[in-house]
Amino acid sequence: MVEFVVPEPDYDRYSNRQLAAVPLAVLALALLVLAGWTLMTGTPVTPGIEFTGGTEIQVATDASQSEVRQSLDFEIDSVQPIAGSNEYIVTTQATDSDAISSAARSAGYEIVSVQSRSASFGADAQRLALIGIGVAFVGMSLLIFALFRTFVPSIAVVASAFSDIVIPLALMNVFGIKLSLGSVAALLMLIGYSVDSDILLNNHILRRRGSFYESTYRAMQTGVTMTVTSISAMTVMWIVSSLFGIPLLPDLAIVLVFGLVADLMNTYMLNLSLLRWYKYEGVAR
Amino acid sequence: MNLRENWRIVMLVVFVLASTFALFGPAGAPDAGANNSSSYGAATGPTNLQFGLELAGGSRIRAPLVGTTAEDLDIEQGQRSSIRQTVGDRLNVSAGDVSVVLNADDGDSVEVLVENVSEQQFRAALTEAGLDGEAATIRGGVTAQTRQQTVETITAKINRGGLSGGQVATQRSATGENYVVIDVPNANTTEVLNLIGDEGEVSIVATVPVEADNGTVYRNQTVLTNRQLEDSQIGIAQTNDAGQPYVPITLTEDAARNYSQDLVDLGFTSSEATGPQSCRYRQSPEDPGYCLYTTVDGEIVYAAGLDPGLAEDIESGEFETAPSFIMQTRSIDEAQRLQVNLRAGALPTRLAVEDGTVLFLQQSLGDRFKWQALLTGLIAWLAVSGSVFLRYKNPRVALPMLATAAAEVYLLLGFAAAIGLPLNLSYIAGFIAVIGTGVDDLLIIADEILNEGEIATGRVFQSRFRKAFWVIGAAAVTTIIAMSPLAFLSLGDLQGFAIVTIVGVLIGVLVTRPAYGDVLRNLMLSEEQRD
Repeated sequence: MVEFVVPEPDYDRYSNRQLAAVPLAVLALALLVLAGWTLMTGTPVTPGIEFTGGTEIQVATDASQSEVRQSLDFEIDSVQPIAGSNEYIVTTQATDSDAISSAARSAGYEIVSVQSRSASFGADAQRLALIGIGVAFVGMSLLIFALFRTFVPSIAVVASAFSDIVIPLALMNVFGIKLSLGSVAALLMLIGYSVDSDILLNNHILRRRGSFYESTYRAMQTGVTMTVTSISAMTVMWIVSSLFGIPLLPDLAIVLVFGLVADLMNTYMLNLSLLRWYKYEGVAR
Repeated sequence: MNLRENWRIVMLVVFVLASTFALFGPAGAPDAGANNSSSYGAATGPTNLQFGLELAGGSRIRAPLVGTTAEDLDIEQGQRSSIRQTVGDRLNVSAGDVSVVLNADDGDSVEVLVENVSEQQFRAALTEAGLDGEAATIRGGVTAQTRQQTVETITAKINRGGLSGGQVATQRSATGENYVVIDVPNANTTEVLNLIGDEGEVSIVATVPVEADNGTVYRNQTVLTNRQLEDSQIGIAQTNDAGQPYVPITLTEDAARNYSQDLVDLGFTSSEATGPQSCRYRQSPEDPGYCLYTTVDGEIVYAAGLDPGLAEDIESGEFETAPSFIMQTRSIDEAQRLQVNLRAGALPTRLAVEDGTVLFLQQSLGDRFKWQALLTGLIAWLAVSGSVFLRYKNPRVALPMLATAAAEVYLLLGFAAAIGLPLNLSYIAGFIAVIGTGVDDLLIIADEILNEGEIATGRVFQSRFRKAFWVIGAAAVTTIIAMSPLAFLSLGDLQGFAIVTIVGVLIGVLVTRPAYGDVLRNLMLSEEQRD
C-alpha cells in the first residue's frame, strides 16, 4: 500500500541563504517570464475571450475536427473536441453571435451552446479582475500584519503568497493557458489556500513551546497533508472536467494545482528560511 | 451521550435536518424569482434546488441601453414639451427620442435615446431650450426610469410571446455601467431577440355615440396614431398624493394640435361627454358612451372618459401649449400594464446587444453539466478521502472527517435550496473549493488534538482545540477577505462562486468544524477523561 508520510527534511544542512535561493530564483524566473510576455504581447498573461471579447460556440456534428475548421467561414481561434461525444467547442474573436450561429447552422451543425462577449464588456471585466486580485491581496496582507504584529513573519507570509500567485501566472504562459474567469477565481482562492499553511507554520514556530525543528515538523505534517490533499482534489477535478468539456472548472483546477505546488516550495523553503532567520538572528540582534 | 456537552454535534444534526427539509421538504423554496434575476422560479426534479441558466439551458442577453443623459437640471413641468422639441430639432433627432424626467435622483434630467450624441452639441441644445446646459452633468446611458420602463416592456413582451419563466432585470457593474439582463429558459437567443424587436401597433381611438335612424350607433376614430404615441413621452406609472395611480403622457406639439382638434370635432369636450359617467365601457361595453380606448393591435386594453378639466384646457387651447395629460387607473398594476401597453410598440431605446454578452445553452447540455459536475465533485471528494486515509490510516479519525466535509457541502446545498439560489457551474466550483478548505481545517483540528501525545483530560482537549481554532479562524478570515472582491464586483459568473465559498467557510467555522472537534473528543477520550 502507498504510504503517505510527510518527509522530515534535514533543514540543519542548509543555510537560510541556500534555502531561500531556490524559491527566490523560481520567483525571479517567473517574473522574467511575465516581463518578457508583457514586452512581446503587451499583457503579462494572454487574456481569454472573457476579457478580450469573442465567441465560444459548441456544436454537435459527425464531421471531423479539421472539417469543422474548414466549414466555418469566420476567423477561428481553436476547435476543441469534447471527449465521449460528437461535439466541438469553437472559439473565435468575432463577437456577432447571430452571424456565427447562422454560419454554424448553415454548415449543418446543431448548436449546443453559444457564448459571446463584446470587447468593451471584456475590457470592463479585465479591469474588475485586476481590481479584485489587488484588493484581495492588500486585504490579506493587512490581516496578516494584524494577526502577527511582527514584520518578518508577516512579510514572509505575504511574500510567499505573492510568489504563489506569480508562479502560476508564469506557468499559464508556458503552458498556453489563457486568463479566464476560472483562472482569476483560482488566483483569488490561492490567496486563501496559500495563507493557510503559512499561518499554520508561523503559528507553530512563534507561539508554541518546543524546539524550532520540532515545531516546524509538526506544522509540516499538517500543512503538507493539507496541500497534497488539495492538489489531489484539484488534479482529478482538472482531468474529469476537461474530459467532459465543462467550462470554468478546468481552468480553475489547473491554476490551483500550479499554485499549490508552488506553495509547497514557498512555504517550506522561503517562509521557513525567513522565520528561521527571524528566530535565531533577527530577534537576537 | 451528554447533550449539553455535545451541543455542537446537536447543532450540526439540527442543521443537517433543516437542510434536508429545505432540500426535500414539501414547502419548497420561496419564490426566488422575485429577487433574483437568474433563477427560473419553480424547482424541478426531486429536490428543491433551483438551477441557473448554465445548468438548466436557455438564453441570457446582457446589454447596455443606448442613450446619453444630462443630469442636475432644473426643469418646470410646463417646459417639457418645448424642451423635447428644441433638443430634438437641434440634435436632429425625433422628439420621441428625447425624454424629460423630472424629480429623478440627480435632479431633473434630459436624455437622448440615440447613438453618438456629442456632449458639446447636447449642452448647446440644452442651453437653447432655456436650461443651464453648461452646468449639466452629461453621461452615457439612460435614466433609471427609462431602464425600469425597458425592463417592464421587455417583460411584457416575453410573457406575451409565450416564453414562460423569463426574467428581466437591471444590473449595475462595479465600474458604474448599467445593463439590462434578460434570462429566458428554453429559448434560443435569436427567438428572444426577435420577440423583443417585434412591435405592436398601439393607438388611441375615440368612440362617440351617434344618433341614427335605428337607434344609437357608435363611431370610432383614431385620435392618436402609433407613430404619434411613439414620438410622445409616456411617463412611468405612479401614484399621486391622493393615492390615485396614473400614467403621465406628454404629446408633441403636432400630435397635441391634431388630438385636441379631433376631440373638439367629435364633441368630446361637450358637457355631455365629460361627466363622470361619460365612459361606461367597464359596465356596458356594448353601450359605452364617450370613451377613449387604448388599443394594441386593434384590441382594447384600456378605456376612459375625458376629464372635465382637461376638456376645458382643450377647448381654450391651453392644452396645445402644454400638451401633458394623465391617464388614471384603478390600481398601480393597471397603470403599469397601461404604461407597457402604450409603449408596446417600441422599447424606450435600443438594447446595444453588440456591447453586451450573449449566452445560449441547450437544455440537454445543461442537464449533462448537472450530473457531470456532480460526478466531478464526487471524484474530488474521493481523492480527498484517499489522501486522508493514507495519512491517518485510522478510520476513527478519517471517517468522521470525511463525513464532516460532506455535511458541509450538504448544509450549503440546503442553504442554496432555502434561499432559492439558482445553481450555476461557478457554484459547483465553489462547493469543491469548500470541500478543499473544509478538509484543510479538519486536518488542522485532528493534528492539533492527536499529535501532541496522550490527551489526559477534557481540559487539555479544550485547550488544544482552541489553539487549532486560532489557525482555522485566521485562515477563514483570509479566505473571506480574498473572496469578497469577487462577491461585490459583478464579474458575471464568479459572484456566485465567491458567495458560495464565503457562506461555506462561515458554515464550516461556525457549525461543522466545531462539531468535528466534539466528535473527536468522544472518540478519543474515555467517559471519565471527559469530565
